Amino acid sequence: MVNKSMGRPLRKKLIPVKRSTGDIIFSSLLLLPALIMTITFIIVPIVDSVIKSFQDFRIKNIISGQPGEWNNFANYIKLFQSQKLIGAIIATFSFVLFVVILQFIFGMILALILNSKVLFARFIRSIMMTPWVVPTIISALIWMWMFQPQYGLVKYFVGVFSGGAITDFAMLNNTKTALLGIGIAALWKQIPLTTLLLLAGLQNVPDDMLEAATIDGAGRTRKFFSIVLPYLKSVIKIVISMAIIANFKQFPLIWTMTGGGPDNSTTTLAVLSYREAFISNNLGSGAAVTTIWMLLMVVVIVIYNKLLGTTDID
Amino acid sequence: MKNRLFSSLLKYIVLAVILIFLLFPIYWVLITSFKSNMEAYRFPPSFFPTDPTLDAYIKLFEVNNEFFVYYKNNFIVSGVTALITTVLAIFSGYALSRFRFRWHKWAVALLLSSQMFPVVSRMISLYDLLGDINLINTMEGLILALIADMLPFTVLLMVSFFDAVPNAIEEAAFIDGANRSQILFQIVTPLVKPGMLAVGLYAFLATWDDYLHAATLIQTDSLRTLSAGVALRYLGELSYDWSLINTISIIGTVPMVALFFFFQKYMVKGLVAGAVKG
Repeated sequence: MVNKSMGRPLRKKLIPVKRSTGDIIFSSLLLLPALIMTITFIIVPIVDSVIKSFQDFRIKNIISGQPGEWNNFANYIKLFQSQKLIGAIIATFSFVLFVVILQFIFGMILALILNSKVLFARFIRSIMMTPWVVPTIISALIWMWMFQPQYGLVKYFVGVFSGGAITDFAMLNNTKTALLGIGIAALWKQIPLTTLLLLAGLQNVPDDMLEAATIDGAGRTRKFFSIVLPYLKSVIKIVISMAIIANFKQFPLIWTMTGGGPDNSTTTLAVLSYREAFISNNLGSGAAVTTIWMLLMVVVIVIYNKLLGTTDID
Repeated sequence: MKNRLFSSLLKYIVLAVILIFLLFPIYWVLITSFKSNMEAYRFPPSFFPTDPTLDAYIKLFEVNNEFFVYYKNNFIVSGVTALITTVLAIFSGYALSRFRFRWHKWAVALLLSSQMFPVVSRMISLYDLLGDINLINTMEGLILALIADMLPFTVLLMVSFFDAVPNAIEEAAFIDGANRSQILFQIVTPLVKPGMLAVGLYAFLATWDDYLHAATLIQTDSLRTLSAGVALRYLGELSYDWSLINTISIIGTVPMVALFFFFQKYMVKGLVAGAVKG
């Protein structure tokens, strides 16, 4: 079979030899290092942390080498009894919703503009990526400087635009605005990649279809919803699920900017688990938070996939 | 006509607003790093440094030079991680792209799902696990954990690059008597150089960004990498030395920006291949 195609369905037939033992050994040897690494350093620790979530396991257990003891769901019971867990779940979901939705909207707007005939589109596409390469901790520092309560630029602008009425605006020190402030920093860092991927998707929309629609008298809005969006569907799905996972997992940005405060208003599940495990040195309780967190994430991803049709994991 | 002009104008205004949002903070930090301490703490702020100075940079070199230890450590950790990750991603990517045994589906599912788990959850038991094998608080331990962190995405990325290489080349080589490993290393690997670059650069950038692994697995200050070192040394107190921090921000970012712009073509290709086609 002579074929230049690289489509997956054909590949099996293109392998010139039969599945000999040699091939099984060869491909297994190639795969083994990566699988061993993934299992040892990701899968085993995850399973182990779920087990530890049912135990009384603290730093002293590590130091003395004693295994943790089964403690009758005490970690979970304590978490549910305190307000901390519910607060963290609410903070996490507000953060994820806010960032993912706005990230998609602004990313889409910017991608559509860059895909239309606009001056310097290539140049803009490359410089707009800068925030994406700025390390997360440094993004946090950049925005902390912008929001700085005494000399900050945002404080200055809020003062100017409110006509001097608000002179003590401190985004990150206020329980009502702190999470918003972190959300803005997250948007700043993540909009570029969203735009880049959506732009790549837009460039795959066939021009002749758009032209035909124009000739048929379709307006711009109509073309967007009837042609562009359906073509983009798979890209949009991936972009949004990447955004959900990334923001669900977000830790360094929040930890650096507020450390979970003020008054726990920015304590997400990531912050809560880290604080329980590595600040209070109660690893069992931290593990209980991450276990609940993983369950919630799985639920969200499953619902999300149901809403947007089934995914094919190859 | 009027309508057209208006919508075109609107387009440029929206574009300008988004670009200002994305780029102005960087400009702001950059100019602050060239201000004197006096000027940086002036309110209302000045939009151009009235008297540009390199004081903050000099101070960083002379007084706070632990920063450069973190910097050097991070280059070592990210460099080694990127290198090993790329090699392993080539192996597994090729195997998953060219051979289709039944359990490969499970390997892919394993890699896909392991990207979802939160890092904190892993750290809780890695701390214990690396302690058992005496790799806690060592660069080797950190590098191993980071390679594992990078592998799932990079392997899947590499698969999509191998998928794009036509099989006919391998068939020809096979008929000429080349064996499997010759085909892989001498014939196919050179064809996926762009993929290797994309994977290596991605791993370098992503590990340069790491905070959680380094903050939990390393306790000795002189072994810390950039993010953890900066966060734990310079952000401890209630009030920050802002001119120092702005300078650190610039120096910590410059290599990444340079790397990205220099290899932009490969990076963009890789990111798009990983997400859009993968």
